[in-house]
Amino acid sequence: MFKDLDPLLHSQLRLAIMSLLMSLESAEFTFLKEKTNSTAGNLSVQIDKLSEAGYISVEKSFKGKKPLTTCKVTPRGIKAFEDYVNTLKQYINK
Amino acid sequence: MKEENAMTAQESLDIITRMIAEAKGNMMRNGFYFLLWGWVVIVANLGMYVLQKMNYEYFYVVWVITIPAWIISMVRGYRQGKAQRKTTHLDTVSMWLWLTFGITIFTLVAFGSKINYQLNPVILTISSIPTFLSGIVIRFRPLVFGGMSFWVFGIICFLTPHETQPLIGAVAILCGYIVPGYLLKMKE
Repeated sequence: MFKDLDPLLHSQLRLAIMSLLMSLESAEFTFLKEKTNSTAGNLSVQIDKLSEAGYISVEKSFKGKKPLTTCKVTPRGIKAFEDYVNTLKQYINK
Repeated sequence: MKEENAMTAQESLDIITRMIAEAKGNMMRNGFYFLLWGWVVIVANLGMYVLQKMNYEYFYVVWVITIPAWIISMVRGYRQGKAQRKTTHLDTVSMWLWLTFGITIFTLVAFGSKINYQLNPVILTISSIPTFLSGIVIRFRPLVFGGMSFWVFGIICFLTPHETQPLIGAVAILCGYIVPGYLLKMKE
């Protein structure tokens, strides 16, 4: 009997964002955009979804005159990511 | 990347591995700070030695030259932090390592009278910790050796008379900061 994969993480872009943030202390929006090769609009939507779920925290500030968005994974996000990977293992080891 | 839920387990795993590899990157390498602090502390040590020889009572005032170094370090550190688009866990560890070291030095200097002004050997010995660990963190061997040299010079300094200790301090900084600092700068 397989557990269901967390739908919030089982999406290419959201999983990519979470994987990057898992290995970093924090990352800026432009860094995430470049590494995930996504559009600003789509990335923004997915970041909001992760943030609403409490998986990441988003801080908005300014770098000079440009708005700056910095993302960080939360303890809840870490737990969700670990659960996701563990469930994934069940699928791969079957 | 498309937004879709029909990913296979293998595709998920591929994304995770690829992104973790992307997040890896070079640590900030900061030869600048080693050179700035290295030269400031060497000048302060030599200045202290000379003023003592001249029988100047307040020979330790020479350490005020570290105040601009503190200001430069803080401004530069703040700017670098802002310019960086990602921060690794090790960047954060490094920053706090040096900050806690700075706070420890402050405390020691403030209560120097309580330890009979044996500040030089104590500070040299403690200097090994952030220097050695920075070498490990950025995987730069000369800095690891620099950190180890502080242990040796700390011991030598404890065994040296008070008036000569600043000279040991200057040589220690030369081996611990200046040489690794220039080697680091060459690699940057």
